[in-house]
Parts: sequence; C-alpha cells; structure tokens
Amino acid sequence: MEALRAFRFKRENTVIDRADPRVRALLSVSLAALSLYVQSLEKQLLIILTALAVAAAARRLKRLAGVIKAALPLSAMIFALNWLFGPGTGLVQPLVLALRFLALSASLSLFFMTTSPDELSLLLESMRLPREYSMLVTMSFRFVPTLALDVEAVMHALQSRGLELERGSITRRVKNYLYLMVPLIVHEVRRSLMAAEALEARGFGSPRKPSRYRELRAKTSDYLFIALLAAYIVLFLAL
Amino acid sequence: MLHEGNVVVQVRDLYYTYPGGIEALKGVDLEVYQGEVLAIMGENGAGKTTLVKHFNGILKPTRGQVLVKGIDTRHASVAELSRIVGFVFQNPDHQLFADTVYEEVAFALRNFGYPEHVIESRVKWALNLMDLWKYRTRSPFSLSVGERKRLTIASVLAYDPEIIVLDEPTAGQDHLQKEKISEIIHLLRLMGKTVVIVTHDVEFVTEHVDRVAVMARGKILAVGPPQRVLCDPRLLREARLVAPQLVRLSLILRRHGILNEGEYEWRADKLAPKLIKALRGGADGGSPGI
Amino acid sequence: MIVRMSRLSYRYPGSEDWVLKDVNFEADAGEFVLLVGPSGCGKSTFARVFNGLIPHFYGGELVGEIEVCGMDPREHPTYEFAECVGFVFQNPENQLFFTSVERELAFGLENLGLPREEISRRVEQALREYQLAELRDRSPYELSGGQQQRLAIASVMVMQPKILVLDEPTANLDPFTAVRVLALVRRKTIEEGVAAIVIEHRLEVALPFATRMVVMVNGQIVDDGNPAEVIARQKHVVGRPQALELVERLIQAGLSLEVEKPSPEHIALSIVRAYKVGEHAARRKRGSPG
Repeated sequence: MEALRAFRFKRENTVIDRADPRVRALLSVSLAALSLYVQSLEKQLLIILTALAVAAAARRLKRLAGVIKAALPLSAMIFALNWLFGPGTGLVQPLVLALRFLALSASLSLFFMTTSPDELSLLLESMRLPREYSMLVTMSFRFVPTLALDVEAVMHALQSRGLELERGSITRRVKNYLYLMVPLIVHEVRRSLMAAEALEARGFGSPRKPSRYRELRAKTSDYLFIALLAAYIVLFLAL
Repeated sequence: MLHEGNVVVQVRDLYYTYPGGIEALKGVDLEVYQGEVLAIMGENGAGKTTLVKHFNGILKPTRGQVLVKGIDTRHASVAELSRIVGFVFQNPDHQLFADTVYEEVAFALRNFGYPEHVIESRVKWALNLMDLWKYRTRSPFSLSVGERKRLTIASVLAYDPEIIVLDEPTAGQDHLQKEKISEIIHLLRLMGKTVVIVTHDVEFVTEHVDRVAVMARGKILAVGPPQRVLCDPRLLREARLVAPQLVRLSLILRRHGILNEGEYEWRADKLAPKLIKALRGGADGGSPGI
Repeated sequence: MIVRMSRLSYRYPGSEDWVLKDVNFEADAGEFVLLVGPSGCGKSTFARVFNGLIPHFYGGELVGEIEVCGMDPREHPTYEFAECVGFVFQNPENQLFFTSVERELAFGLENLGLPREEISRRVEQALREYQLAELRDRSPYELSGGQQQRLAIASVMVMQPKILVLDEPTANLDPFTAVRVLALVRRKTIEEGVAAIVIEHRLEVALPFATRMVVMVNGQIVDDGNPAEVIARQKHVVGRPQALELVERLIQAGLSLEVEKPSPEHIALSIVRAYKVGEHAARRKRGSPG
C-alpha cells in the first residue's frame, strides 16, 4: 500500500514542478539508463543520492525516502538470491544489483511523484500517442482511488453478511476474499459502460482530430535543465 | 411507542478519523433503545454513515467506544457483529454475486453455520416476505432495481438479526417503491426489531420514526421525537436540512398569525381540518388559530 | 420546437417487448420539463434518444419520426449531437474523467475542435459562473457530491447546448444540495433559453422549478401539462407532495386559493392572502371601520 502511495501525485509549486514534464521524463530515464549501464557500487549510490537531491529540491524528500525504504525488502531479496545462486563469488555484484533496483525505483517514482496524470497524458500526446491511449492512462489514474473505495465497499457488504475476513486461517481467509470477485467485476463493468456512455455524450469518438487546450511549450529554464543534465551525464561517465 | 428500556447500542464519546486524515466524527454520544425506530439525519458529509458503520464493526473507533449488546466492537469481527446488526447498504450492486436469488439469501445463513433445513425455511420466509419467492431460481442481476433492493433486505432478514440498519433506503426509489419500504419498516417494528435508518428524506421520516438524531459536521446536534426536532428551524438550518413541507408552510402561517404555537402537523389530512377551522374562525370575526 | 418526436417506439436488441410505445413529445426553448414515472417505465431509455445514445450505443430498433436540433438520431452519430444536446448522468463519478476541474471543462470543447482561445475563454467563464474557480486544480475525487454534479453540469453547459437532459441528477445528493443544482438548471432555462428535460423521483425538490410535467408509465406518456394539474390526476402513480394535497383539501372545503408555484412557501402565502381576504370581508360584514 505504501508503495502505491509513492506513485501518487500531489501538487507542489517548486522549480521541478514548473519544469516541462519532458525534462522530468528525460531526467528519470537518464538516471535509470545510467543505473543499468554502470557496474560500480559507488555510481549506483551516486544515482540514488542524485534522485534524493532532486526530490529535496521538489520538497518531496521524505516521500522518496519512504519509497526507498519500502523497496528495501525486495532489494534485500535480490541481493540474497544473487549472492546465493548467482554466478561468481563476492558481495559486490549482488550488492550492485540490489542497489540498481533501488536506483530504478527511486528514479521512476521521482517522475510520477512530480507529474500530474494530465501532464503525463500531454507528454504522451507530444510523443505522438493518439488521444484514446493517453486518455487511457489519465483515466486509469483518475479511477484508482475510486476503485479502491469500491473494493472496500464490496468487502464491507459481504462481511456484513457474515463473510469472515478478519479471523481464521490464512487459507480460509484467502478463499473468502474470492467472493469479492463477482460483485466487484460486475460493478466495474457497469461503471465502465456508464463512463463510455458519458464519453460519447461529450463528443468523444469523432473522427475529427480534437484540438488541444494545453500544449507543452519549453521555456529557457527547461533548456537550462537539459544542459545541466547533459553535463551531469558527461561528468558521471567520466568519473 | 418508545421503549425507553434496554439500550442495545451504546456510543460513548466516539471519534473517528479516516486514513486520509479527515476527522468524520468528533465526540458522538448516542443510545439506541430496543424496539425503537431511530432516524439519523444530516447533510452528506455530516457523518451519518460513518457513525452507523461502527454499529457492526466495519469501522472501529479512533477514540471512544461502541458497545453492541454489551460487546465492545473493537474486540469483535464484522462477521461476528453482523449476527446482531444487519446492515442493508444503499447500493445493492455492491454485494450481489450468487447464481440464484435463493443462494444470495442463503449466503449469510451458511456463513453463520445454520443447518440446511433451517436455511431452507428461513430463505423461503424471507423471500416470501419481500415478494421475491417467484424469482428464487433467477439470477439476482436479472432483477429490476427495486427488486434488487428488496433482495438485499431479504438477505439480511433471513438470518433474523435483532438490529437492522438501513442506509438511505429511499434514495433513488420511486413513489410506489417508497411505500413498499414504508410497509417493510412497519413490519420490522411489529416484529420487535430495532431499526436505525440513515436518511435525509424528511418526508419519509415523519411517518415512521420514534426518534430522530440530527447530525452536522461530525457531531450530534439533537436527539428527540420528530415533532420536536424536525420543527426547530434553527436546528434544521444548522444541520442544513430541509424541514418537512407542511412544517415550512405552518411556520409562515404562524408568522402571519394564522396558526398558534403547538404541535406541527405534517400530514395534509391532519392539517387541513385545523386550517379550515382557523380560517373560518377568522372570517367569522372570532380569533384565529387553534 | 427544438424537439419533435412522433409515434416513437423502441426495443432493445434481441428483445420482443417494446420499451417505448408510440410516444409523442415536443419541447421548446426555455422549458423545464419534469419527466417522472415508476422505475422501469422507460424514462432513462427515452432520455437517451435525445442524443443518439439510442440507437447507437445500445443498438436495437428505433421507430417513428424524431427530430432533435433538426437532426434524426438514426442518421447522425452521437458525437454530432454533443454540440446541441448536453447529457448529465446520475452518478457524477462516472462522467468525470480527468484529475483536474479545468481539464474536465475543456474536454468537451476539445472534442468539438474549437480553437484554443475560444476554449480558454469558455473555461474561464464557466469556472466563474459555476463557482469552480478555487477548485480549478482539484481532482473530482476531492470534491463533494454537489460540487461534482455542478462540475458535470458545467462541463456539459460549456459546450453551449440548446437542450439539457438530466437523468436523476440529484439521486446521490441531499435535498439542500439537490435544490441548488436544480435551481442552477432552471436559471439556465431562463437566462439562456436552454430546454431542460429532467428525470426526477423527488417531487418535493423538483416541482417548484418545473414549467411542465410529463408522466410515463410502461413506455407510454400518460400525462403531459401543468405540473400541479398533472399531479392531481396522477397522484396514485407518482405520489404527491403534502403541500399540494393540502391545497386540494382546502379547495374542496370551499377555500379559494391562487397558487403561483407548487412550493410550500408559495402555498402558505396564498393561504395567507385568502385568509386576509376572508378577514377583510368579515370585518366589512360586521360593519367596523377599516
């Protein structure tokens, strides 16, 4: 649950937020690419630190730290598995893999933390993705909290008729959770049909290309960011 | 018909904060008496549904205590408390899942471990009561909206809980369906059940209810018989509730000296004769009012 | 006439029964038509003919003469109606697609292909007019039910339709908010000449705003006309608010009442007037001065 919350966007007004989403995407992708490319331990740490620094500049340091903390168990597992069953000996390689996982998680969630779903769809459309697909992305984000509430509602409704989800053996409880499936699916199918109707009623689906209310326009500061990023990458690889 | 006898649900200084941080209940005290029909009213967001969800343990207090027949809800699971408190949710589609109407009603009974022959008789009784026996082999999803609502009520009645909570039973219902629900509540009362209705339908409440609890912003503003509570304009304003039609009408008439202070009527067939007398009395030179 | 329907009949695909049977209906600019009837009578189906959801989204067989904004829905896809017919659904959750209010307002206009300056102008105006300016960056998830429904109406009105169809728009709202939402719609019919077709169950809430009432039963229109008169004839089907019942009883008792609007307040004032007339006449009869 905590991990999911990390990917949730919350509005702030920092330099990072005001930057063009393409710049932020470039940043996250660069950090991720660098992490996949380099082998040294120190460089993986450097990437994680860079991500934290950017998060600090975006006033989201605590949240990113939370993400990294949440990713630690999985990271530890990666370390353990590679150490026990991986090729070669030594701690360094498994540790690099473990840290790489953390670096990737950090750089990706950094993007999602600072980018609203609407900006995300603008970003995708600027990459020539058709409107239907970018809307798919936005609407997924939009409906996630709604879906969470639906799951809860179905859970409560069935519990109120005696379905035991709080006590009893693990196997029993898992079996009981299956009862949620049918009402949930029926409910969500209904919901998507209603949303489809509403979309059509609002003129969606016309073969005419829709206009765009907001467009991404790069500012000077964005070019500055890109320059900084390029410098960073060069320095990073040179070290 | 108030049995100020046993307290079946005791709410003590209840506070509840949702995981997102919103404090929905800010110190609620309430007693629900056995056999009464209690309405909990208030605008959306006042905390009505949050409050009643504590009655069967769906929500557990952040602070304070809720006792259901003496059982502290923090120490019992929802399934356990549901044997005592039957909850009929506003949206029937959140819980329908079985292949047949029969199975839908039998679900709770099976969960509670009743033997098969008892289940059979109970299901038959509940479906007959709700006039749904003829649909017993049909899929619940093939029923109309009103029938699905009756089905959820049947599912709860089948296992005979002592307390029944109805969450917005009249929302989205047409005139005839509302009358049907009125009958059901009357029936529940005759069966000796304790009924708690969460609603903002004032007109409906005036007919059936022993007491009304008015909520606003996470607190209970007042509890009492509807004649007192629903006729207090200041209270209603504070709770952002709309008074019953004839109460609003009577208030204006009173201001113009046509009706005196006293008990308000909210049924036209009761108010009409009083008004006619008052108006005739005025016309004959006698003093107006009743 | 902006809507003209003659001998309209419809049945869903694969179904033998006609859901709409020989419906004749006309509407003009500025009307607030209240469409009522028991659940399952076909009101929602009928509403969906206005913008072509029937027959395009649902399929089936649509028969009769139909003209909405000069177009026949059988010959034009739904998106062509979007400019002229605004449809507001019951559940605001399922008609708000974006995570910011501003984006939601712009969506319909983008679909119409309007230039950016025009979109911007209309969005800013809508934010002011519907009191959404402070909420412009909010996600619908963070809005109350009333705010959501206001946003849904705004998102549709921003496209400047000539007809507004609302399918139980206040079902999930408390009466106080419901009144405000319907008042907003009524204002639009007055200020901009929009024709509104409103499906509602709660007569006490909707009646004061209606200029006309249509009753549908079993797929047929059984009554159409002045709201108070229609209710008097159809009270067994659609129910009747207490205030109107009071009026009928008083009139039966010989009182002459002139009621402007079917709201309790207006009715109260008309009773006051009748009383004063009576008193005046009585005083004159007694021969006392003034």
